[in-house]
This record gives sequence, C-alpha cells and structure tokens, in this order.
Amino acid sequence: MEFITLFITILFVSCIQIAIPFLVKRTVVFGVTIPYEQAKHVKVIHYKKLYAILTTVIALASSIGFIIWNQVTPMDETMLVLTGTLIPFVILLTGLTLYFYFHYKMTKLKKSKRWFEKIKQVRYADLAVRSQDEMLASYVHFIPSIITVTIIVLSVNLYDQLPGQIPVHWGPDGVADAFSEKSWLSVLNLPIVLIILQSMFFGTNLFTKKSGIKINPGNVTSSKMRQLRLRKYSSWFLFITNIAMTMLFSILQLNLLYENLFSESLLIFLPFGFLVFTLVGALALAIKVGRVDSDLEGKLITDEPSKVEGVDDDNYWKGGLFYFNRKDPSIFVEKRFGIGWTLNFANPIGYFVMIVPIILILILSFSI
Amino acid sequence: MIIIDAESDIPIYVQLRTQIMESIVRGDLSTGDTLPSVRGLAGDLGINMHTVNKSYHELESKGIIEIVPKKGAVITANKDKKISKKRLDALSKELRPLVVEGLINGMNKEEIHELITGVISEVREE
Repeated sequence: MEFITLFITILFVSCIQIAIPFLVKRTVVFGVTIPYEQAKHVKVIHYKKLYAILTTVIALASSIGFIIWNQVTPMDETMLVLTGTLIPFVILLTGLTLYFYFHYKMTKLKKSKRWFEKIKQVRYADLAVRSQDEMLASYVHFIPSIITVTIIVLSVNLYDQLPGQIPVHWGPDGVADAFSEKSWLSVLNLPIVLIILQSMFFGTNLFTKKSGIKINPGNVTSSKMRQLRLRKYSSWFLFITNIAMTMLFSILQLNLLYENLFSESLLIFLPFGFLVFTLVGALALAIKVGRVDSDLEGKLITDEPSKVEGVDDDNYWKGGLFYFNRKDPSIFVEKRFGIGWTLNFANPIGYFVMIVPIILILILSFSI
Repeated sequence: MIIIDAESDIPIYVQLRTQIMESIVRGDLSTGDTLPSVRGLAGDLGINMHTVNKSYHELESKGIIEIVPKKGAVITANKDKKISKKRLDALSKELRPLVVEGLINGMNKEEIHELITGVISEVREE
C-alpha cells in the first residue's frame, strides 16, 4: 500500500511538472510575457520542448530507479517512505532549476526581439464579467463545520471515558504511531485543526472572489474563459477537498472516541482514498483550466495581428514566480508557472489568510 | 469593456470615467445595473483603488451613478429622461472652451457640428 501511494504521488508530480509549460497561458513563457502572435515562435516552442524532454528524463530515471531499488533490495518502511517522499522533491527541484534557466533564456530573447515595440500595451476590464463568474459562495466552507462542531461536542462529552494515551499522529497506513498524554488539547487536536483549515478555505475562497479578473486585450475570449474556469473549478476543488478532509478527520476522531468502531481495512484505505481523491481533483482542475488559452487550445488566430496587448507586468513578477504589486488590490492572482493561484506578496491580507492558520496549526502540534 | 492606456497624457481616472459613460451610451450597461466594486475593478485593471474611487465619485457627482452602501455603485443615469436645466448649463460651460478653441483654429459652425456628430457615431459604434 505504501509503495503504491508513493508511486502514484511520484507519477502525478512528474506528469504535472513536465506538462506545466503547455498548460500555462501561452502568452507567458517561463514567467516572461510575450505578445500573443509570438506564442508559436520557433525558439519558444524549442525551449518548451527541451524543458519537457529534460524533466521527463529525470522523472523516468528516478521512478525506474525507485522501482528497481525496491525490487532488488526491499527497503524497510522508513527507508521506503523517506526515498519515496524525496523523489517528488527531486523532480520539483529539477523542474525549478530548468525553469530558471529557460526564464533567463526567454528574458534575453524578449529583449533582443523587441516584440513589444510596435504594440500598444493597455489594461483591460470587462464591467459585466462578474455576472458570468460561477465561483461558489464562500460560506459553503462553513457547512462541513457543523460536523466539526458536532464532533467537538461529542469529544467533550466523552472526555472522562477516554484512555490516558491519545493518538496524535498516524502513519500512511492509517495506524496511529505516536501517542500523547490525555489532555483537552490532545483530545480536541484534530477537530481544532479541522476548523482552522475550514476557516482558511473560507478565507481563500472569499479573497479569490474579491481579486481581479485579469483579461488580456490581445485575446479577450480565451483569456476571459480561462480566468472564469480557474475561478469556478478552483473553488469547487477547494470545497470538495474540504468535504474529503472533514470526512477523513471525523472518522479518525470517531475512531479515537469509540475504539474499534471502524474496521482496520477502512482505516488503512482511508488516507489512500483521500490522496487519490485529491490528486484526481487536482488533475481535473489542471485539465479543465490548462486546455484554455494554452498550447493545448490549438488554434491561434493571428489573421489580424492585434495592435494592442495587455500590459506586461513582468517587473512585478520577481523571477517570474513571485507577484509583488502594491498598486494591485488583488490578493490572489493566477500562477505564471503552474496551475492555480499565487499570492500578491505586496498585500498583507494574503499573508494573514495563508500564514496565520499554518502558524496556529504548528503551535498546536508542538504544544501537545 | 474598459481599455486603459497608462502611457496616455489623459489621467487614468478620467479615462475610466469616460469609458464607463461610453459603456452606458452604447447600451453595455443600463439604468439599474451595478458597477463592479472598487476593489474588484482596480484588481481587474491592476491599478490603485484610489484611482477607481475617484472615477466613481466623479460619476456620482455628475448624477450618473449612486453609491449605495452594501449594494455598490448603481447606475442611475437614464437616457430616456430629459436633461435638467442645471446639467445643461454645466455641460454648456464645460463645452464652451472647446468650441472656442475650434473657432480660433479656423473651424466654422458646420465643421463643429460635424465634429460632434462624428464623436456621437464613434461612441455608439455606428
């Protein structure tokens, strides 16, 4: 089971990492903005292909190595988990290194070609676009909180009957492998973490909704559709993840309260199911969003080369990865290399939404 | 649809104000519609919230929108209603220096009429 879990994760990380340049907006290549008509430029295509080939080689080598190593000399559990978790990071790091190399190459190419010299760069907004926005309402993230509150009440009522040792950490097989002295904090740890996460999801949805809908005047139809899809499907993904997480945490907490309530096979399968479920969700999101306004969309209408393009915000994107724009009140903006959202690091609200919950959870896990 | 040229000599808040009014003339927006929130529109355009705020307040003082707490900026301008005497006087005052400038530059009455007709069809996209 552990081997399969790790292998699926490696496979998933590899596929996404290799595909990123073809899933992101075609007007932003390795974090560098180019005019719409240049998306099929020979050099641009060449860099993307080279990136994909190199990443594939590394990903294949490490996955095959992982399988063979496990076949020849079966690793013990700790070793297996350690290498299995390390490999995705190796692949991510390879992708990142190659990204920076091609980011540098693209910056040089853009400078030498002077692509934007004859094009007027403007800012574009559609005043009616919000009527087409299909993001879920933010409060839906507090619906699963009813379960969380129920579980807290239940735990408080059963506190006196619980044993002196409380499980606080579970291995990938769903079996508790670390225990703590019984206290209010250790008994209520799981539901409290759950409620913090649910609030974080609420905040993420709320502030994504309030963020700008960026449309490129160089190709209005595609770029608008991509933004709307990203908003809609990422908010669905967030909600489905919330429900799955609530189920996982609730079952673990119920198992803590009532011993032998669930069969061992369910507890083993649970985290695995959760992982597969979220990976499938993430994949669906990547495909739904990634096939619009990217290389996968295919058609590139350049019959009348547009005289206007969006303002390239490259100077606000540090290294093409980190967005830092004091003027823009958006808290979340679409990632330039990857599918999903990234923070506007110039906006303190963003830090509050993302970092405070993580700090709270860390404090909580260190205090028990 | 709003297009802002940051390199233009015309300030951004003026461009924004004019284009919102043009959207109403074109029929993209009509009486009773709500404009995006200040934060939302500033986010769409990647510009400062103060700039959008300034445009909205100017539109409000011209009687084109009304800023209703909780609901946002609602369009109150009505193309079918007759212009008030007060607004007409104000417009006349604002137009005066432009007409005078045209006359100084050798335009005659017909040419000025033509200029205005041209602007009208351009805005209406006729």
